[in-house]
Amino acid sequence: MPATSANLRRARPLLGTFVEIDLDDAPGHDADEVIEAGFAAVADVHRLMSFHDPDSDVSRLNRDAFTRPVLVHPWTYFVLKTAVDIARLSEGAFDVAVAGSAQPSAGLSPRAGSAVELLADHHVRFNHAGVKIDLGGIAKGFAVDCAVEALQRRGVRSAVVNAGGDLAAFGPRAQIVDIRDPTAPERILCQLALRDTAMASSARRFDPFRSADTTESAVVNPATRQPARGIHGATVCAPTCIVADALTKIVMITGQRAAGLLTQFQASAMLVAADGDILTTPDWQGDLQHAA
Amino acid sequence: MSGWLKWTAPAAAIMSVASPGYAMQYMSVEEAQKAAFPGASFTEVQAGRVWKASNGGYFYYDHVVGKHLLIDYTVAIGPDGRVRKVEILNYRESYGGEVHDANWLGQFVGKGSQNEVRINSDIRNISGATLSSTHLTEGVKKVLTYHASHFR
Repeated sequence: MPATSANLRRARPLLGTFVEIDLDDAPGHDADEVIEAGFAAVADVHRLMSFHDPDSDVSRLNRDAFTRPVLVHPWTYFVLKTAVDIARLSEGAFDVAVAGSAQPSAGLSPRAGSAVELLADHHVRFNHAGVKIDLGGIAKGFAVDCAVEALQRRGVRSAVVNAGGDLAAFGPRAQIVDIRDPTAPERILCQLALRDTAMASSARRFDPFRSADTTESAVVNPATRQPARGIHGATVCAPTCIVADALTKIVMITGQRAAGLLTQFQASAMLVAADGDILTTPDWQGDLQHAA
Repeated sequence: MSGWLKWTAPAAAIMSVASPGYAMQYMSVEEAQKAAFPGASFTEVQAGRVWKASNGGYFYYDHVVGKHLLIDYTVAIGPDGRVRKVEILNYRESYGGEVHDANWLGQFVGKGSQNEVRINSDIRNISGATLSSTHLTEGVKKVLTYHASHFR
């Protein structure tokens, strides 16, 4: 049995995107098994937090949580707690309640910060009728964290987990990450060497399967229920991917006003403003790719 | 604390770091077969596309093509007709319109994971707007429909 480490890189379609796990330094004899465990963690998060799967925790909450307390998986409870905390700290700029925008006829729904009650023993209740939640803005980052934990628990010393641009790197070797230009996805805007850090990006929606056009943002401002328009794209580095994922949404909506919150979460950020200016927090580590 | 730094040049002046294409090779068809049905032998049912495994399962090799993206993937279907594993074998992205060019595609034919294809010389990770896997999900459904009508 080889005592040496192995390098293995695999990709699967999960969470509506492509999830890639790159084992840089894994115990050689069971690298396949280890990578399966990483993907299994992501698949579990997908199963628990899918908005569309009728058996997911999210669907059960959306169906029943106003009528009675619903028992959810500890992972779902943790994500909800994080979401509610960040909703409160961001004064509602981050919000997992979606009923108002998904169903305009329902009118504005109360904010998640006040509508979601986290009860004892992983029970959750909604205190307003018509509240629906969508964890799409935070679950992908959490899935990355879960995969990282699964890998580390199995002795992996160095790896990258990348769920469609929400990623985390750990281990002694810095991992090079290119950040796309949100206004022109064929271009690379910035390069970073990540080490024991998570990163997430948001941009006006683009799908290279269909076209390179960047059109309307997928991020909706909870205050106006309108897509965020002030910022072309944002990338946040934070200690965990769940936090990085949520904070990118806040930067997309509040722009430079997110600075205090970023500091509070030990996060750094880069954003491309509507006028094309590139702004970074003072502690941003990336090298901008300048024209020669 | 709240002071943001401005990186002088507007986005329009930023030069591409010569990345007209990005490609990644994860595994070969043979490796995907072994991973899906360990220890099984495979009989080709349709040349280069469909194999029957000795355990009663089936193995499909297919690709999805978008405007800027091409993905080769495999679907392993168990003897019960359910999907056992979907693997992405490789991924290539191009903004120069080469995706539909037969010559451009030809350079990838026959490459195994021991013989990696990288347009960028060093392996990079990409962050930015999320790529949707909708096309791939539709591809897997198509394979399942085909399987149900031909091999069940």
